[in-house]
Amino acid sequence: MKRHPLILIAATVVATLAGVHTFGCGAARSARSLAAEKVYVPPGELDKYYGFLSGGQSGSVFVVGVPSGRLIREIPVFEPRAAYGYAMLETDARRQLLESTGGLWGDTHHPVLSEKNGLFDGEYLWINDLANGRLARVRLDYFEADRIIKIPNLQGAHGIAVVSPDTKYIVVNGEFEQPTDGLVTNPAPYTSVVAFVDPEAMEMKFEVRVNGNIDIADTSKDGHYSFSTVYNLEQGRDMGSMIQYDRDAVAAIDIPAAEKAIAAGKGDVRNGVPILDPEKSEGVLTLIPVPKNPHGVNVTPDGRYAIAAGKLSPTVTIIDAHTLKIVAEPEVGLGPLHTTFDNRGNAFTSLFLDSQVVKWNIDKAVTGTSDYIVDRINVHYNIGHLQAVGGDSMHPYGDYLLALNKLSKDQYVPVGPDLPENQEIIDISGEKMKLLASFPTPPEPHDATFIAASVLKPLVHQTYTPSADAVQAGHESVVRTGPHAVSVDMTLIRSAYTPDAFEVREGDQVTMKITNVETIRDMIHGFALPDHNLNIALPPGYTKTVTFDAGKPGVYWFYCTNFCSALHLEMRGRMVVQPKASTVTLTDWHAAENVKGQLVPGVPSTGDKR
Amino acid sequence: MNSRIVYVAAAAMMEAALALPLWGFAMSAPQYPDETLHLQIARGGIVGDVHEVETLQQYIGVRFPTELPELRWAVRAIAALAALLIVAAFTRPRGVGRLYRIACAVAVVAFLAASAVAVQSRLYRVGHERDRHAPIRAVRDFTPPLVGPVKVGNFTVWSFPHAGALILLAASALSIAGARRTVA
Repeated sequence: MKRHPLILIAATVVATLAGVHTFGCGAARSARSLAAEKVYVPPGELDKYYGFLSGGQSGSVFVVGVPSGRLIREIPVFEPRAAYGYAMLETDARRQLLESTGGLWGDTHHPVLSEKNGLFDGEYLWINDLANGRLARVRLDYFEADRIIKIPNLQGAHGIAVVSPDTKYIVVNGEFEQPTDGLVTNPAPYTSVVAFVDPEAMEMKFEVRVNGNIDIADTSKDGHYSFSTVYNLEQGRDMGSMIQYDRDAVAAIDIPAAEKAIAAGKGDVRNGVPILDPEKSEGVLTLIPVPKNPHGVNVTPDGRYAIAAGKLSPTVTIIDAHTLKIVAEPEVGLGPLHTTFDNRGNAFTSLFLDSQVVKWNIDKAVTGTSDYIVDRINVHYNIGHLQAVGGDSMHPYGDYLLALNKLSKDQYVPVGPDLPENQEIIDISGEKMKLLASFPTPPEPHDATFIAASVLKPLVHQTYTPSADAVQAGHESVVRTGPHAVSVDMTLIRSAYTPDAFEVREGDQVTMKITNVETIRDMIHGFALPDHNLNIALPPGYTKTVTFDAGKPGVYWFYCTNFCSALHLEMRGRMVVQPKASTVTLTDWHAAENVKGQLVPGVPSTGDKR
Repeated sequence: MNSRIVYVAAAAMMEAALALPLWGFAMSAPQYPDETLHLQIARGGIVGDVHEVETLQQYIGVRFPTELPELRWAVRAIAALAALLIVAAFTRPRGVGRLYRIACAVAVVAFLAASAVAVQSRLYRVGHERDRHAPIRAVRDFTPPLVGPVKVGNFTVWSFPHAGALILLAASALSIAGARRTVA
């Protein structure tokens, strides 16, 4: 039988195409599987690292597992959170502190971890509130904000950094310049300060005046210098005049020199804090010229270089961290913002405009070798910060990098006009970078830092040791402490409140001290009181005191908001608010028969079926 | 070994055993990973994760016995046995002494058997004398064995002799051995 040659050719073409298609799909599938395997943490297994992401305008810190990208916890800091019973009531001391220091909202940007010998020790995390000039400390044994302070004499607390290697100070940059005299009675020139905070006492030590907008901070690994990028040396007050100069600066503050000047009494004290004027204290401040309006500055893990990102310039400026001399200014791409590091001499710089991470070799860039660019990878989209695991310590791990992208566009199913932020996990263990996975978050993480689970996990408590003033089971009470004051000491344990009923009068101030007397981990009970703007969460062993107005007369059922047990729904009790003139007592209420529900015919309503 | 030493040792061990937990229970459930609950029966009563187990018991109507009379009897019986064994240490392995030693061994075995019966009966009552109005209806009556597991709702409860009981067993073995040496 004779075959037509055209059929043979057609058959060959089809077969070839099919083969290519199959092979192509197989390769793509296997690349996907490999990527998935790198970030897959099976149920029951734990992530290798804790990731701390600033919550941005959520005013909190997000805790994310790496490599899985799973959101594990939100730590409320500057904003009340009913779910955690955090700073809810007007009488709450934490809420009052927030209100008196700037408000019930914060804009968190830069989480930084405490260091010992240049290693993260897992004791504390600090986070700034850019909007209201505050600094908060989070205890990592309980994952709770324990101290919040207002930084005097500055507005816009932006970049913060731990002074390496032993957390001598927390450096806080003042971004928004203020009148030099701290007043607005005279037209005074504007200036700003870099603040140095004692990390243990959370007290101001001193400030150094810097003219311009002080942006991102890092410190030399030996603790000698703090580095801050400064834009708008012009001191322009509108955008156009902020970008006039060709070069702005990295401000290097000689910390021992500043300490000496402060000890010699050279600071001008304002709002209780000595401020050093660099013009009067020589050697404290060195301005290193870098292309105008720089953004990030990051010190290499070996402490040799501080690397300033050009932002408007496609370059990074490599500064010798000891001599403060510029050693190179290589081009890396459009819109460089921040740099992080692996443990093999490479730097990774985020490129905001290119929507890329560029990997480059530090030694090659310094020596002017032309092939210093190692790799580029696309991210989605407009990356801001990036952080490799341990890249901000002296010992990077060199395995994962997190890209914190400002826009997500088409990366998730559409959810209306307010799109989520997009974080991407990149494998940096090989020569070429590999995009592994992404995860969305609420607005808006700016920066991140990581600590090995092997370091932090053993330090974390999962129950509280009851405080000395905790309410003990069997010692609950309801006491009238004044004509308009009632004090209730309450305990909770599965599945009941003790007492489960108490009465107060209209116009009373009710003070409740509530102790969760559970001893087993994860047995959290809530205390929600309808129409009183009150919900608190009590982890095992925890005691919380709340004071509130009794409100309108009525029967209010307080109930457990954290699902706890088989009788969770039944875990509730009553606060009976009597009208001022009422003579009815709780005993009368107990005696009164309730309206019973309808029974199903034929089914016994009481007794045991067995 | 000198039979006198054997008897004195057995008597001392019997008294010492009372300082240690006698019986143990280990309770595990899916929602208690890496945190198995433990209870021990000791001379002073029930110790261990009592707080948590009591919190859980209310759901299935199990109650810890507030009184353990059999424990009081056991303490007395052990004291009596120890006294008998001390006397045995001063008997001769012949004639009346021999009969006395055999009687001691019989008493020890009788005590062990009675104890086993008492404990098993107590375990039966814990699993059966429950509050019939307990909220969770799904859990059936149960009898923990002297040694081994039983399923109670979502929990697997293991019973096992604890250090005190093991020392008691060893002491009993010694006293029987004392009698046997004589017989042989």
